Amino acid sequence: MIRLEEVTKVYPDGTEAVRGVTLQVAKGEFCVLLGPSGCGKTTTLKMINRLIPLSSGRITVDGVDIYKVDPNDLRRGIGYAIQEIGLFPHMTVGENIATVPRLLRWPKERIRRRVEELLELVGLVPPEEFSKKYPAELSGGQRQRVGVARALGADPPILLMDEPFGAIDPITRERLQDEFLRIQAEIKKTIVFVTHDINEAVKLGDRIALMREGRLVQYATPAELLAHPKDGFVRDFVGADRTLKALRLLRVREVMEEKPPTVEASKPLAEARERLERLGVNFLPVVDREGRFLGWLNRTNLRPEGRVAEVMTPYSVLATPDTPLNEALSLMFESAVGNLAVVDGEGRLRGLLTFRRLHEVLRESYREEGQG
Amino acid sequence: MAEAWQFLLRRPDLLSGWTLQHLYIILVANGISLIIAVALGIWITGRGREKIADVVLYLSDIIMTIPSLAMFGFLMPLFAALGLKSYGFGVAVTALVLYGLLPVIRNTYTAIKEVDPAVVEAGRGMGMSELQILTRIKLPLATPVIMAGLRNAVVINIGIAAIAAMIGAGGLGVPIFRGLRNLRMDLIITGAVALTLLAWAADGLLGLLERWLTPEGLKRARKR
Amino acid sequence: MRRRIVFLVLLGTFIGLAIWITGIGKLGIYSTFTGQDLLRETGVHLKYVGLGELIAIVVGVSLGVVVSRPWAQRTRLSTVVVGAAGMGQCIPSMALIALMAPILGFGLWAVVVALFVYGLLPILRNTYAGFRSIDPAIIEAAQGMGMSRGQIVRRIELPLARPVIMAGIRTSTVVNVGTAALAVLVGGAGLGRIILTGVLSRQPLITLQGAAPTAALAIVLDFLLDALEDRLTPKGLKVKKSQA
Repeated sequence: MIRLEEVTKVYPDGTEAVRGVTLQVAKGEFCVLLGPSGCGKTTTLKMINRLIPLSSGRITVDGVDIYKVDPNDLRRGIGYAIQEIGLFPHMTVGENIATVPRLLRWPKERIRRRVEELLELVGLVPPEEFSKKYPAELSGGQRQRVGVARALGADPPILLMDEPFGAIDPITRERLQDEFLRIQAEIKKTIVFVTHDINEAVKLGDRIALMREGRLVQYATPAELLAHPKDGFVRDFVGADRTLKALRLLRVREVMEEKPPTVEASKPLAEARERLERLGVNFLPVVDREGRFLGWLNRTNLRPEGRVAEVMTPYSVLATPDTPLNEALSLMFESAVGNLAVVDGEGRLRGLLTFRRLHEVLRESYREEGQG
Repeated sequence: MAEAWQFLLRRPDLLSGWTLQHLYIILVANGISLIIAVALGIWITGRGREKIADVVLYLSDIIMTIPSLAMFGFLMPLFAALGLKSYGFGVAVTALVLYGLLPVIRNTYTAIKEVDPAVVEAGRGMGMSELQILTRIKLPLATPVIMAGLRNAVVINIGIAAIAAMIGAGGLGVPIFRGLRNLRMDLIITGAVALTLLAWAADGLLGLLERWLTPEGLKRARKR
Repeated sequence: MRRRIVFLVLLGTFIGLAIWITGIGKLGIYSTFTGQDLLRETGVHLKYVGLGELIAIVVGVSLGVVVSRPWAQRTRLSTVVVGAAGMGQCIPSMALIALMAPILGFGLWAVVVALFVYGLLPILRNTYAGFRSIDPAIIEAAQGMGMSRGQIVRRIELPLARPVIMAGIRTSTVVNVGTAALAVLVGGAGLGRIILTGVLSRQPLITLQGAAPTAALAIVLDFLLDALEDRLTPKGLKVKKSQA
């Protein structure tokens, strides 16, 4: 557990980088320090491993004041990853990852096993091959993985990360974030993570500490922060496209049209045409006798003779009631008909997600924001 | 040329003697100079020593601009005033130590200053002591550049040591100087050719050493 | 500022020493050189350096321009020339000037040719490096605007490469002040004559009488060429430098 009590940093020239920040990160919790550049988030982070000395206040790790231990011993027990990565260019990937274990004088065999384990964890396989490479021979994404593996070197209970995915292209960044979430689910570290990217914060953090001008403005879960921003600054920072971010927090079940009209696959096409015309729609979901979703019937494919099963378009994408809304939105763009079928675990059609419904949800939240 | 060849056949012992003497002077001078220069180069990279660094670098710059013959001219009366032998080996080595400083100080300083700050921060953040950061990160990364400075210094000093023969330090300058004063072409050519070959050989060998001491990871980085 | 102070203190010391020793007059059975001697040898010294440098600049810059042309790169001419210049720079000045005597005889020619060859190499190297460091996009832009090859060299490449070329000329000149001190060995004169007289007669003060003005000459030329280098740097390049 990490505790910051009234932590303050004043530089010799008088600038106050951090003023009276108090917060607590529980064991196994993922805390994101979020804010615009110059808000003191990086300074706060670096005070935890004493790269920047405190001016006043107190920081404890598992109840021990960090100024009661040797700074090098403290740092060897805390993983540290930064945006510039800072891999040692003259050492192999394996040697880089082994840095802290070597400082701690682990036996050789144990270090070797640990390096392999970590390379596998961050997906650099086969480990024997990657371990012998030099940083210059890796891509940016691979280097950042090595950076994360190196931070985890001696299996520290705490990780400090300063925009570790900041300098990577958006697609690779998304992937690294996903992977990192998977890794975190496995290793359960206590993490303090700095970013200025609200999307990243919402995606990764259990709790977000929003900072401004050296002060802690709000410390809350992502949902709370988005739903109840504490003041104008938080609202501004969370941004104009806050609704899009809020989509992350909504599930399909909350907005889908339940029990939508369907057509059975075994019905003759003439009956289907009548139904389409009566409902005034161009598409209908096709289901079997048990209500399992099979595909879409498109009005333009109708023929005078035959059955629905012969002309229907099999589905390509599906959502479940628990799919986050932002993912559902991108799935809808892939869907042939622009609507998304929502099915349960048995494949039964539970509802439909339509653009019209989504649009309504978005409009509602815009209106709320305008009033707030 | 033929005369030089004949001289060589007649007195190979003389040439090898001069060459060894020359090498000995260089070894002593550049050895001392390397230690001082690397230590000084590292020291002036320290925090808060920017002004000292500026002065040190400028002073060693100035030393390089002073012609070697003039440097001997300064050191001889100085040695005399201090009651030391104002002639020969001592004066020569002192001058060569001074000339050997600049290339190594400058390269050490620049190379260490140019180590990526992120790499140093990563090391510190993982709990390396300042000494460990120096010996495990900064120095290995700076070695190729320091070696390039040493190579430069040695080549320069091989030339200056030849001039030091005028003040009685011995070495390959002896046959050149003697030949020029007595119009002995064979001596001039023997000395000048041997001196040039020595400089080329030192340049080539130190170049190899430089490459050999370059960490593998940096070589691969350069290839990209 | 700090540098200017160091420079002035050193220059003052050197000149002061020379004047002081000249004023002593008698040193046991030897007498020091007169002020007139000193001025004359300084003049000769400067003449050697000037002549050698002048030829070296003309030849070095032209050759540098030639070997930096694309066809020279393609035919590997530049690799050969620059490699040879590198080897040449390793040749000790003493060896070079001594070898001139058997070839050209003792006297002015041996000195000037040695200084020319020795001064040529840094200029050639820097000219080549200066031209090579120019962003190809700039040349392409100039071509695109319809500049002829000669115009590109004169209006674009030379101004951009000038600071680097000037640095080469400065190095070359300072080195040659030292090499010119060896002229006395091959039948020349100059300040080296005074130093050598002191060495041979084992009179450290007479050695110093020659050494002090030689050193003064070197640091003054270094200082002046540094200032010139600064003035000849295009303003646009300086802005970039100060921001970096």
